[in-house]
Amino acid sequence: MGVILQNRAARVRVGKGDKPVTYEQAHPPHYIAHRKGWLSLHTSNLDGEGGAAERTVEDVFIRKFIYGTFHGCLANEIVLKRRANVLVVCAVFLQRLPPYKFYFLVGYTETLLSFLYKCPVRLEVQTVPEKVIYKYL
Amino acid sequence: MVPVAHPAPEPWAAGCPGSRLAKGRWGGLGTFPVNYSSRDMPKQYRFLLNKDLLWVQFSGFHTDLHHHKDNSLISISDEPDTLYRKLSVLVKGHDKTVLDSYEYFAVLAAKELGISIEKIHEPPRKIERFTLLKSIHIFKKHRVQYEMRTHYRCLELKHLTGSTADVYLEYIQRNLPEGVAMEIKKTKLEKLPEHIQKPIWDKLPSVEETATGALETGH
Repeated sequence: MGVILQNRAARVRVGKGDKPVTYEQAHPPHYIAHRKGWLSLHTSNLDGEGGAAERTVEDVFIRKFIYGTFHGCLANEIVLKRRANVLVVCAVFLQRLPPYKFYFLVGYTETLLSFLYKCPVRLEVQTVPEKVIYKYL
Repeated sequence: MVPVAHPAPEPWAAGCPGSRLAKGRWGGLGTFPVNYSSRDMPKQYRFLLNKDLLWVQFSGFHTDLHHHKDNSLISISDEPDTLYRKLSVLVKGHDKTVLDSYEYFAVLAAKELGISIEKIHEPPRKIERFTLLKSIHIFKKHRVQYEMRTHYRCLELKHLTGSTADVYLEYIQRNLPEGVAMEIKKTKLEKLPEHIQKPIWDKLPSVEETATGALETGH
């Protein structure tokens, strides 16, 4: 309608052409289920299912926790999957730390989160030399 | 005497990373069973997860340690198995393609187990929409709309026994994808209780006479 209040949600604004942007960041939210997938998969947002607020709070905490534990090593957003009491955290990391440090941090995160949420937590990790750039904006 | 198959115990009791135990059930010549945790197993063998053992060839080895004929997963009991006329499995999810592939998997599993499928239908999707204010303060005229879509898929199976239903449902539920929920409705067939088996008007004629007698006196 107006030029003043346009949608700014989850959109990276176009710049000079020097800003690298990943696939996840490049697509605005109306492409979810068309070109994008979901970052957090659980059943509480379905019809007639409860517990959405608790799952969301857990998600936010886990994202902040992993962003802090593996500081500067995250290549992309974390994908959280919940399969019958097991929490699977899928993350893509940059190879900025030596592998033994990665293994230690992975084990530490898993045990700490399992004790915190009283459910088995698994971290599925993939490492990548650099961030995967989709385009430059 | 009906054999009842008990499902295998949960492999994910503890969240420890390296749970790779070779539980000692040494078989005959040359086979070595290994219990992989689901994370370490290669993708193409994930469908074997619900079975307890993954047999691997190991040449020239012969041990006699454990007699594996007493399979603790199968037990036999005297009471008759429950019968189900219909088993209705309704899956709901946000993504239709995930439900498509899950339906293919469930139908394949049912065919392998020899369960007859009555029909597979897709109930219409439900969309929950709500409208919120776009800004934190004023600007009432500018709003944001969100929606949550739920797609359904219903699989109806007929004429199952209790143990078959248990095994099939256990397998299906272990392999439910994330973000998909399931509801099950079972229609049980029960034997008619003894006191209703024959109609009452065949016996006890004396009850009728006293009833009519009571009516006359009351009136």
